[in-house]
Parts: sequence; structure tokens; C-alpha cells
Amino acid sequence: MKRIFLFCASTVFLVYVLAPVAWLVSSSVQQEAEITSRPPHWIPREPTLENFEAIFAAKEKQVTYETRRQGDPATGGYIPSTARNLVPAMWNSLIVAVAVVILNLVVSVPAAYAMAKIRFVGRSASIYFMLTTRVIPDIALVVPFFFFIHKLGLLDHLGSLVITYLAITVPFGVFILVGYFESLPDELDKAARIDGCSRLQTLLRVYLPLAVPSLVAVVLFTFLTSWNEFLLALMFTQTPASQTMPIIVAAFTSDFTISFSFINAAGVLAVIPPVILAVVFERYIVSGLTAGAVKG
Amino acid sequence: MARIRLESAGKRYPNGFAALESLSLDIRDKEFVVLLGPSGCGKSTTLNLVAGLEELTSGSLYFDDATMNAVPAHRRDVAMVFQSYALYPHKSVYENIAFGLRMRGHPAGEIEKRVRDAARRLEIEPLLERRPHQLSGGQRQRVALGRALVRQPAVFLMDEPLSNLDAALRIAMRAEIKQLHHTMQTTFVYVTHDQAEALTLADRIVVMRDGVIQQIGSPEAIYDRPRNTFVASFLGNPPINYLEGFLREKENQICFARGALSLILPRQYSERLRGQAGRPVKLGLRAEEVDEHSVPRAGETLHGRVSSVLPVGSDQYLGFEVEGSLLFFRVGRDLRHKEGEHVALSVNVNRAQIFDASTGESLLWDGSA
Ligand SMILES: Nc1ncnc2c1ncn2[C@@H]1O[C@H](COP(=O)(O)OP(=O)(O)OP(=O)(O)O)[C@@H](O)[C@H]1O
Ligand SMILES: [Mg+2]
Repeated sequence: MKRIFLFCASTVFLVYVLAPVAWLVSSSVQQEAEITSRPPHWIPREPTLENFEAIFAAKEKQVTYETRRQGDPATGGYIPSTARNLVPAMWNSLIVAVAVVILNLVVSVPAAYAMAKIRFVGRSASIYFMLTTRVIPDIALVVPFFFFIHKLGLLDHLGSLVITYLAITVPFGVFILVGYFESLPDELDKAARIDGCSRLQTLLRVYLPLAVPSLVAVVLFTFLTSWNEFLLALMFTQTPASQTMPIIVAAFTSDFTISFSFINAAGVLAVIPPVILAVVFERYIVSGLTAGAVKG
Repeated sequence: MARIRLESAGKRYPNGFAALESLSLDIRDKEFVVLLGPSGCGKSTTLNLVAGLEELTSGSLYFDDATMNAVPAHRRDVAMVFQSYALYPHKSVYENIAFGLRMRGHPAGEIEKRVRDAARRLEIEPLLERRPHQLSGGQRQRVALGRALVRQPAVFLMDEPLSNLDAALRIAMRAEIKQLHHTMQTTFVYVTHDQAEALTLADRIVVMRDGVIQQIGSPEAIYDRPRNTFVASFLGNPPINYLEGFLREKENQICFARGALSLILPRQYSERLRGQAGRPVKLGLRAEEVDEHSVPRAGETLHGRVSSVLPVGSDQYLGFEVEGSLLFFRVGRDLRHKEGEHVALSVNVNRAQIFDASTGESLLWDGSA
């Protein structure tokens, strides 16, 4: 009885979570006419890759109000004028996300080790201080960040995003890793130093290999945060040279005409990198997210 | 090989707690020294200072004649065995043992040889490819020992290495550690709160309390001539018994008196106790220092009532009421007494201790170890 209930409940939950994704994928290969049909076609009648073609071919095409009106046979004339910005924006997003992930690890791993294993004055104060920065909503920080970025001359530059995303993600990374490092016995640290490791070697040769699940959690969180971030990107970037994917995709909805199938195709592309990451690190994800929470 | 000297060493933790105030200790080369004391007395702190895992906040530390205060742990020639073993969970047993040698840049061939030697010696050869979580507690303990001994360090430190083992294994490992010290010929500093372990292993015992050394001496000296009631109570099982009373002098003999009880103290005590008649003192009687004589001798006999009989296999413990105090004695199992019986037990007064009643300092202490 209990199992039947559990089975039903998890089925409902699964459908709830997966149905939108399925619809996203399905509609991205549908014609614009089909996508609006009622009842919706979960399985496309005439699957087409025209939307994806349009994304990758859009570079060469100059889509203007006039050319769009002439009617592009591929998309039924629904290509947004900013379509050709999508691929560069994906690159921008990727560059920013990868940079943030790498810099985040470079900063938060040693910081977390120090906070967990070295007793210095102000150690717990620094942990609390770092965490409090995270209870401030981003919207409150936008203006100070803006002035800061402006002073640095980084407006409309990817660097502005890297810096601010680090400010958002490093506290989280340190928090996860401090929790994990603290759960490892102090004596492990002592043993490594007696065995001839300097602090840095202790970190690299003993703690890092043990922390892989937590590192994966930090990498995923950081990557996704950077990949998704909208508000700050909207503020600090103005031209396609530095705009990221969420900005460009959002812009599609405010174009002359809205193409749902095209937007969904963009959505599918947006999902791919995180999915690849998740698949690669799959076996660490669950243990990483619970590490530190459960001692073991 | 090294002599270790701590001079007025102090350790104040960042939270302001002074674990050690001013500790001076001179450990001879190749000596086996045991730091003994109750939980929280600063044993681990002292050991960590020697290892370089904590920094002294005052005083100095020397290995032979070199000041070590500012030398970090990884540059000191010390090895250490921890209570929790602290094996690297992601490395095989082989790699655990080899790690210290690798970090110190020994050639591969030599590492291999030393690890195999150590493994053979500790009988863990078949386990070399396993991970620590695939080992029993005793096996982990051996790996931890192996990791320390391959290093052939000048100083071998152990922090309660046996306290996670069961009783039988602990006694077996004691013997192995003693053997190890014999073959390695290096300086051992060993921390424990188990008095039996200390008495078995040590060349010299350092008894500590609240960061202060109470007494340093050979196991016999510590056991037979404790400097104060703290040291006396800490060693011995069941613990030493105390009887409060007075000193009395009669006919050139010095006695301990309490109510109807009067024990004549041995002649060699008189020099230190003469002229102090009337002084309130505590008599310390170790649990094993009584026996039953067919002819009770005056001045060496306790008359009392057996209040409980607790057989423990080889021996039995007697709860014994004397002059309103309850004492515990360990006697042979062929003594047949029942609860409530009145008996006379002879005391080995030659081993009785006399302490000042208020300070607990031994009145027999002559300043020697
Ligand atoms: N990092 C620290 N910060 C503050 N106080 C500490 C710290 N480490 C130890 N202490 C305190 O110093 C004192 C001595 O600690 P230590 O670990 O040396 O005791 P110990 O004799 O080894 O005890 P145990 O037998 O329980 O291991 C204790 O009172 C302890 O609370
Ligand atoms: Mg300790």
C-alpha cells in the first residue's frame, strides 16, 4: 500500500518536473503552425530542424524588417531580427561560466581549507560575514555593483559579469567546502603535515582528492548560476559583444513577432551544457550536495 | 635520535585559554617517556608542540641543541601516531605508508624496500593493496604504526594510539610498541590517560594536571613515592585508599592515629616526620598492600568490617570499613570472608604514604625523582 502510494507520488512528481522539458524539446522541432495547434502535439507530425538551422545559419543572414517580411521559407517568416546574436551569446555565456567556475575554485578551495583547519583570529567572524553577504538580495546590490563596474571601466565587458558572479558564487562555494573540510578529522591534516606536507601540499594531496564530490557540487552550482543569471547581465551589458544567452533569449520575446518554436529551440540549446555537466558528474552529485550536511 | 627539551613552554590558544603555562621537560635521547594525566590536562597540546603542529606562545623547544620553535612540522624529523589513526581514506595501505617517504623525496626503490620491511614487521603484508575502510581497528592501528616507523624518525610521538582498541588487543599492542622502541632506538613520547599503559611502557612517566607537571619519574618511583595525592590517586587499580588522621610520636616511634587505630610507621620515615606530632595527615594505602596474618601484629593491623566482596576472577576486591571510612582492598581469592564479618588485616606499613591533610603534598617526598 505504502509502496503504491510512493510510486504514484513519484510518478506525479516526475511528470510535473519533466513535462515542461519534454514540451520544450518537442516544440523546438515543430513548425510554428503546429506548435499552436489544439490539442498540442506531443509528438511532432512533421519534425523539422529548421529552427536550429536558422540559429546557426543566422549569422550569415541579415534579418531586417524587410527581409523578414519577404518571408523566410525555413521559419515561416518568424525569425527574430536578433537571431544571429544567439550563437555569440552562447559563447559569451560559456566563457563567463567557465571563467567563474575556475576562479571560484581557485579562491574558495584555499579559503575553505583555511577556515576549516587553520585557527586564526577572526575565523568564525569571517565565515559569518561571508554568509551574510548572501542574504542580501541581488537587486539591492545592483546599483552599488553598477558604480563599481563603471569605475573599473568594465561596463559592457564580460569581465564585469565574471567579477560580480564571483561575488555571488564564492560565498556559496566556501560554505559548502568549509562544511566538508570540517567534517574531515583534524588529525588527517596533522598526519599530512607530519608526513612532510606543507599547508598547500596538504590541501592539494590530501584534502582535494577527498573533496571531489563537494567540488562537483560547487562547480555545478557556480556554472548554473552564471549560465542563468539575468539581472546583472541586463544591467552591465549593452551590446551583443558582451551579452549573454539569457539576455538574448529574453529579447526574442520582444521582437517584431514572437516565434515560439524558435525560442524553444534556443531553450534546448541553453539546456545542453548544464545537462552535459550533470551527466559527466552524475555519480558525485547526490553525495556532493549532502556532504557536510551528513557526517560520514 | 634526539634529546627533546622544553623550557618554560607555554601555549595559549587563540580563544585565550592557556593550556600550558610554563612547562619544562627534558627528554633524553632514546628514552620512552609517557605523558599521563586526565582528559584536558594538556598532554596532546604538549605533544603537538613537540611535533610542530601547534606553535609555542612562550618558552622554547630544543631538539638536541637546535631551537625548534619556528620550524614547521614538515621540516621536523618526527613521526606521529594518532588516536583516530588518521589514515588517508583515498590511498591504499601501501600508499599510506609510503606517503611520508615520497613527500621527503626518497628514491622509489628505497621506499618500496622500507614499506615492505615495515609491512612484514607489522604483519600487514597481505593488506597492502586495501583501502583503510576495508581494515579492522587493529589493522588500521598497525598501518598507522607502519606509516610512522618507515620514516625512521628521530622522534616518535604517539597520542593515545591504543585507546580505540579492545582490551585484549590493547595489551598485545603494548608489547609490540615496547618491542618497537627496543629495535628502533629512538626517542618515544607517548600520551595516554591509561595508568596501566604508562606503567608498562615508560622509562619515565610525566604526570600532568591542568597543564602543570605534577611529577616526573620512573614507573616505580611514581607508583611507590607519589609526590601528592593527585599522582597517588591517578595510578593503581582500584585506586589508593586514604584515611585521615594525625601523626603521633610515642617511644621514639612515629604513628599514624585515627580513633582506635594506630599504625606504626617505618623507621626510615621518622627523619622526615619527626617533631610533627599532632599534624593532620592523610594516610595513603594502596589496595594491594594488605594481607591476612595468622598472628596480627600490633601497629600493623586494621580492624574493620567487610562491607562488600567483589570477586574479579584472579583476585577479589574487599570493601572494608575502618574507623568510619570505606576502603577498597585487593586480596587473593583464597581469602574467604563474608559481608558483615569483622576481620583483622595486616598492612604493609613500609609502603604506606603520608600526605598533608590540606595540601595533599607528600610528607615523604624528598625532591628526588
Ligand atoms: N584549539 C583549542 N582551542 C582552545 N582550547 C583548546 C584547544 N585545544 C585544546 N584546548 C584546551 O586545552 C586543554 C588541553 O587540551 P589537550 O587536548 O592537550 O588535552 P589532553 O590532555 O590531550 O586531553 P585528552 O586526554 O582528552 O586528549 C583542554 O582544556 C582543552 O579544552
Ligand atoms: Mg588528547
